[in-house]
Order: sequence, then C-alpha cells, then structure tokens
Amino acid sequence: MTDTPGDTKGAPAPPEREEERRANPEEDGEPRLRRAEDELRARFAEELQEGEETQERIGASREAIVELDHVSLAFDRPILENVSLVARRGETIVIAGESGTGKSTILKLILRLLAPDSGRVIVDGEVLNDVTYEEALVIRQKMGMVFQGAALFDSMSVFENIAFPLREHTTLNEDEIEARVREKLEFVDLEPDRVMGQLPAELSGGMKKRVGIARGMAVNPAIMLYDEPTSGLDPLTTGTITRLVMKLQRELKVTSVVVSHDIRSAFRMATKIALLAERRIVFFGSPEEMTASQDRYVQDFLGGV
Amino acid sequence: MRSGLGHAPCPFTTPVWNSPATGSPSRGLRLAGFFESINDGAKMRVLAVQEYFGLAAKAVRFMFARPFYLGDVVQQMDAIGVESLGIVLLTGFFTGMVLALQTSVQMAQFGATMYIGRLVTASMVRELGPVLAAILVAGRVGSGIAAQIGSMRVTEQIDALNTLGVDPIKKLVTPRLIAALIMMPVLTILSDTVGIGGGNVIATAYVGIPTGLYWRTVWEQIASGGFILHYIPADFVQGLTKPFVFGGIIAITGCYFGINTKGGTEGVGNATTRTVVVASVMILVVDYFLTQVLLFLFG
Repeated sequence: MTDTPGDTKGAPAPPEREEERRANPEEDGEPRLRRAEDELRARFAEELQEGEETQERIGASREAIVELDHVSLAFDRPILENVSLVARRGETIVIAGESGTGKSTILKLILRLLAPDSGRVIVDGEVLNDVTYEEALVIRQKMGMVFQGAALFDSMSVFENIAFPLREHTTLNEDEIEARVREKLEFVDLEPDRVMGQLPAELSGGMKKRVGIARGMAVNPAIMLYDEPTSGLDPLTTGTITRLVMKLQRELKVTSVVVSHDIRSAFRMATKIALLAERRIVFFGSPEEMTASQDRYVQDFLGGV
Repeated sequence: MRSGLGHAPCPFTTPVWNSPATGSPSRGLRLAGFFESINDGAKMRVLAVQEYFGLAAKAVRFMFARPFYLGDVVQQMDAIGVESLGIVLLTGFFTGMVLALQTSVQMAQFGATMYIGRLVTASMVRELGPVLAAILVAGRVGSGIAAQIGSMRVTEQIDALNTLGVDPIKKLVTPRLIAALIMMPVLTILSDTVGIGGGNVIATAYVGIPTGLYWRTVWEQIASGGFILHYIPADFVQGLTKPFVFGGIIAITGCYFGINTKGGTEGVGNATTRTVVVASVMILVVDYFLTQVLLFLFG
C-alpha cells in the first residue's frame, strides 16, 4: 500500500464510529471490507481510470524532490506527529483528511514558513530545518503556492499580480514580462486582453483561483503547492481547476502537493494520496491502493465522502 | 520562529489573564495563579516591546538594501502626506487663531499684546505644530496602515508575499516608514506656517496689531534661540526633530498591529483601534522626553 517511510498504521476511528461498529459486530471482518472495496471502486471508477492515465502520462521519476522525514510539530497542542511523506519529481501528492488535522501545516513546513520541532523537511535536496529566514526566501522561489482564497494582491491588477514575482526575481524586461504574463493567463484558460487590467475584486472565485495558479507558476517553479484549490467552487469550476492541475503536471512536469478534502478531484489528479488523521498519516499510497485499503479509517473516510 | 514574518502573535490580542479554575481552589493556589498571570502578562509585554523594536530595526535596515520599491514610497508619500494635507492645515490654522485669541486676553492685562506673535510662534513651532499634526496623522494614516496591512494578513496576502520570496517587512513596512519620515516634517512645517498665519489674522483683525509688527515678532522668536551652523534656527531643529520621530512611531505602530492582526475583520478593527490609541499615547509620552533632551541640547 505504501512506500512511505513513516507511520502508516491506522489511527483510532472517531468514537461515534467505534460505537457504531461495536453495535454491529456482524459488519466487521473480510466480507464487509471486500464489499466496501467493490463499492468504492464502482463509485470512483471514472476518477481512478483518469488517475491511472494521468500517472502513465506523467512517468514520474524516482528522484525525491519534497520529503518530510518523521516530522513532528506542536504549538499549544500537538499538530503533527511523526509524519513522513515523499513526493518524487513529477508526482502529484494529495494530502487529504478531516478539517483541523494539520494538512495546511504540511504546506507551511514545505515552504519553511514553519520549522518542525523534530524530523527533517527536505526540498530539492536542501534540508530546510536550519536555513535562515533570508535563505528560506530564496528556496521559496523554487515553489509556487496557490492559496485557498487565491490571496491575490488586491491593490494590484491581474497583470501586476502575475508580473510581481517576475519583477522580483528575474531580469526580464517589460516586453518579456508581458509576454510571460499572457502565456500564463492563456495556460489557465483566461483571455489576457480581457482580464489583465482587472482588479482581483472584479473576478469570480474560479477566475481568482486561476489567476492565483498563473501567479504561482509565473517563474516556472519545479514545485507547485495548492491549499484547497477547489474549496468553495461550484462542481463545474472544480472540474476546471482539477483539469488545470493535471494539465500543469502533464505538460510542464511540475511536482504538485495538493491539500484537499475533495476526494473525487484527488482521485483524478493524484499519483499518491496521503490521508491525515489525528496528527498522523494513516495512509500513503496510490488512489488504487486507497480503495483497496482494508484500513478501517480509510474505508470510513471514503465511505463518508 | 513560528510565523513567516518571524513575529510571535501580538500579545495584545492574546488573553493574558487566565480564567479562574473551576471548583474552589485554596487561597495559596489562587495566589500562585494570580502571580503566574502577572508573570505571563509581563513577559508578553516585554516580548511585544522587543518585537516592536525588532520590526523597526529591520525596517530601517531595509532602507539601505536593494530593491528600494521607490514606486511604493511615492505612493505612500501621497497617502500619508498629500491626503492628510487638508485636515492638518485646517487644524493648524484654527489652532494658531485660538492661540492668538487666548494669549491676547492674557497679554492685554500686562499691556504686552505686541508679543502675541512670539508666543504663537514658540507654541506652534516647538510643540503644538508637531504634536497636533502627529496625532491627526496617527488617527488618519496610522489606522489606515493597520487596516490595510491587517486585511492583507487575514486574506493571506502577507503569506503570499513570503511564498513569493519577498520579505513583507521590506515590501510593506519600509516604504511606509520612509514616507512617514519624510512627510511628517513637511506636514508640520506647513501646519506651523498656517498656524502662525492664523495667529496673524486674529492679531490684526481682533487685537489690532499691524501685520508687519506681528511678523517681526515672529522672526524675533525664531532668531531668539540662536542658530545652528550659522543658518538653521535652533527652534526649527527642535520643531523638525519631533515630527521625524513621530512619523516613525506612526508608521511602525500601524505596521506592527497590522502584521499581528488575528481573527478576521474583527481583528482588523481591533488593530486599527489599538494603533490610534498606542500611537497617540506614545507620541505624547515621547514628546515629553524628547523635549527634555532637545531643551538640554539647544536650550
């Protein structure tokens, strides 16, 4: 089921589900699990097939580009415990789980906005634990981040938002910057001439997300990070954003780490899914392996979707 | 370092006093809890002061490091200076008039109304001009800075800057600090000028002092403190050192509370209120100590 070096043992199921199971002991055991697996395969057949095709097209290499090695982090209370995760070049890793399980914290660790209490975070061969604040700013240029609310600079136009990282980190002249902005907007299926002059407040939620993706990929980063890219969007726009993430990995071979609880989108775009529960990763493997998993929490999580 | 900016959460937004424990603990335990709360509160405040000055030091250091964000500086100079001009001039003018009016009543008792110009000038240049302009700008601009940066914080725009490899202090705080350091003295000069002009209106129209005499007494006051480097009146040095310091206080306080905003739109509201209160109090307190130092240096 996994190639994770970390703890993939099942976390304790929520108490109410535990009580349910105790009340129905005949539901336990192999027949129930097989039935659940068949049901899940049927439910997600389309997504799984698309996911398999995606993986074949990507042809992910075996070189690890993002790695969390037995990472633990606590503030007032423990947030993550002994979490291990590997994203290889070209892969798309989806981190799923219930709300408040520390999914977005993993992205902050990868970006070195946070440092772990123990364990190591490695990005493109560099251990981030001991880098200085200034070094972290440089390392972050290898990554593009798409925020849940897009986080576009509301005092800047769409053009200025996408041009911002180019002006900061490249020596491109204004013509080259405009050409790059147009290219990125076209990539995310937006008409440059229509949207470039608009302010973020004038855009719809889906358009903001797409501009956010265009800004994230402006400097052609090797790694893209997405925080709930499809949350708060209608089903059609969710499909558009999911296809966009897949297009990015397919055409540009970008490694993606996506935090999402939208399991349908996850099955379509993920090469691997990491399921977080109770501060730990309880499953790390391909979508196919996830549906086949006999772990009770995984089954419950998918059953509850 | 826990946050992207390297700042701990704002201590003023964190409840310092723990709620009382359930049950009825012994008096000794309650006392211990009470002292522990005081201890925690004191630590939080010391930490806040440390972070405030840490932010200021970093913002000053970035003034001398590339890139310089000149466009942002000019934009902030417009927001802080040009847009505050109306309110600062209006307040300065009426302050000058009321000063002349009050002093004329007092001076009339001693037959010394011809010295109204001296008194208005001394008050405006040394004290009222800088302090009034600073308090007005703290209310108008400081709250604006806190609201703008606070909104950026709660909508993850500051995190976005960090992830794009840009230091938010350099991009957001330093341009505002430079703009405030430049524009506060300019606003104060203009406020002083129209204030003295307001005094002239009252002195001429109400007290009957000729304009020429009024302006001669104004110059006498300016020259009375002596000159630094032969040309710069000592009063001007006093009058322009203060707004320079106050500009720094307004910009850093607004940025500090903006960056440490927590809790959505309510947090933004709290940040703006705290900025105005803290900046105004700091201006008045610092004004006293600064006056002591400047009087010691320049008399």
